[in-house]
Amino acid sequence: MVLCTAAASLLIGGCAGNGQGLDANGQPLMPGGAGGGPLTADFDSIQANVFTPICTVCHAGADAPHGLRLDAADSYGLLVGVPSAEVPSLLRVKAGDPDNSYLIQKLEGHAAVGARMPLGGPYLSNDVIAVIRQWITAGALPPTPNAPAAFTLLAVAPAAGEVLVESPAPIMIAFNHELDMTRIDPESVRLERRVEAEAQMPWLPSRIGVTPGNARTLLLWPLEPLSDGHYRVVMRVSPALTDIAGEAPRAAAPAFEAAGDSPDVVISTFVIGTAP
Amino acid sequence: MSLSKFMGCAVALIAVILWPHPASSEPYLAVQEGYKCNICHVNPTGGGLRNSFGIMYAKVLLPAQTVTDLDAWTGKVINAVRIGGDLRAEWSNSSAPNTPSQQQFALEQFRLYADVAVIPDRLGLYIDEQVAPNSSQNMEAYVRYGNSNDGLYFKGGQFYLPFGWRLQDQTAFVRELSGISMTTPEQGLEMGYEHSAWSAQLDLTNVPASGAAAKAGHQITGQAVYVQPVWRLGAATSLTQSDAGNRRVAGLFAGLRTGPIGWLGEIDAVRDDSFAGGRSLAAGLIEADWRIRRGYNLKLTAESYDPDRAVAQDQQARYSVVYEFTPIPFMQLRAGYRRYRGIPQSNVENQRLSFIELHGYF
Repeated sequence: MVLCTAAASLLIGGCAGNGQGLDANGQPLMPGGAGGGPLTADFDSIQANVFTPICTVCHAGADAPHGLRLDAADSYGLLVGVPSAEVPSLLRVKAGDPDNSYLIQKLEGHAAVGARMPLGGPYLSNDVIAVIRQWITAGALPPTPNAPAAFTLLAVAPAAGEVLVESPAPIMIAFNHELDMTRIDPESVRLERRVEAEAQMPWLPSRIGVTPGNARTLLLWPLEPLSDGHYRVVMRVSPALTDIAGEAPRAAAPAFEAAGDSPDVVISTFVIGTAP
Repeated sequence: MSLSKFMGCAVALIAVILWPHPASSEPYLAVQEGYKCNICHVNPTGGGLRNSFGIMYAKVLLPAQTVTDLDAWTGKVINAVRIGGDLRAEWSNSSAPNTPSQQQFALEQFRLYADVAVIPDRLGLYIDEQVAPNSSQNMEAYVRYGNSNDGLYFKGGQFYLPFGWRLQDQTAFVRELSGISMTTPEQGLEMGYEHSAWSAQLDLTNVPASGAAAKAGHQITGQAVYVQPVWRLGAATSLTQSDAGNRRVAGLFAGLRTGPIGWLGEIDAVRDDSFAGGRSLAAGLIEADWRIRRGYNLKLTAESYDPDRAVAQDQQARYSVVYEFTPIPFMQLRAGYRRYRGIPQSNVENQRLSFIELHGYF
């Protein structure tokens, strides 16, 4: 039925829409909304002029390539300070360093892996890429706060099930809101290592911080290099872990398992060395 | 002479060369010939490495002129090992309103394939590696157990999901909407069935995410195709369950041969709950491939895309004309023009693209 309806609508209205009542990204004009406007070196403008109209043709929804959703709700949290899926040693956007930002490498066509983006072209002009570079150089500042969604964990690197050849430095936990770093304590997010024949998994001493210029991504630096073995990252949903508005993370996604006593939640498990 | 004038002359020259001579890959060939995908490809869902018949077809039936010196080449380097490849290089010119036009030469892709028949018709290992541009990237690598020509088979590893027409143009609206194309391999298992006029697959794979992105979840994809000599009908569906939200895709596709023209049609609909409030999307494609003479094919395509069915007047369309000339075995020249139509306030939705592509394969 859905297909029949879709087919009928596509055949009847097989031509392009006239755009009446829509902004430049095909969304209904909102009172006070101004559409994309000219491209400037800030995230909101880049989102409105590049990510939404060009990239979300493919990079949106639950099937987005490499899980990179570039719609306005998700893009910043999945770009800034987050390792790329194709080359995990590079961040998708490394604040202050456009040359070592995988996003720029993909847009300019000299990334180590895969095709230049947008796939199949036309590619972004040098002027547009220069504006994105400028935004990254200036610290890849986040979008203007605007009725944010609930405070939620977006991603963890190393991700669940990953097998690494060496110690990650650091472990990254991305949220969709800026974190209140004044409240976070060492128990908020911790790293544990499985020890043979022991029921308990000992904590590994680590330092907690955030990515420079991106208070949405929590970083966990183990104080000593991690040896081969099985590890897990555990988040404690407690008053110490909140966004700057004081909101606690939304109930963890079903994929994250409870780690013993509530309120601990395992948000990633990974292996260093050879998987068993 | 400016580069644009030079390329314009080159396009005109090629058009002149192509037009008066005698002609003819992809699904339109299967429609024109009445073949299933596994008639020409090792992979029962099509694309990639060609089998013995596919090589023979490329040598004898596809090009305008055959070359007798190629008689010994069957794609096999030793009895159990078959190799192949595709290289595509192109010049393109794109323009959009209020945007400077772009011209460039680009190596689009160079892919190498290999298949090892460990136990003939029962156990095989397959790999598809993109070796250029940039660093090598594995696209497909799987173990295949069973007879993929007639009966039940299983695949395990990394492979392309089956969904709709496996078009050469990965930027077609139906491929971008479904999120399933030959640029997005997935990891998991496939169970397939090939018998008589039927071809069917059922796949269980990871969600298309890796690295830092949320990756918990899975995708189930199913497809069934019924193939007759002059027509075929297929249905496909895919369900993704992930932290980002559920996504359901359904598609119907069909092919029909009328004289020298092969017709392809596909309609896909998506319900994606990863968007706030959920979103319904739809895309359609109609393609006509006219085999003017052996080695010559004219491809006309009309596409439609509705990025949000709850929003009126946001539809997009795309029209393409592509001429394909295969002068000799294993080499093809393609020249094409694509016109995008979208809402007038969007430059990118109203772009134009012209290209000339050189495609070598074996």
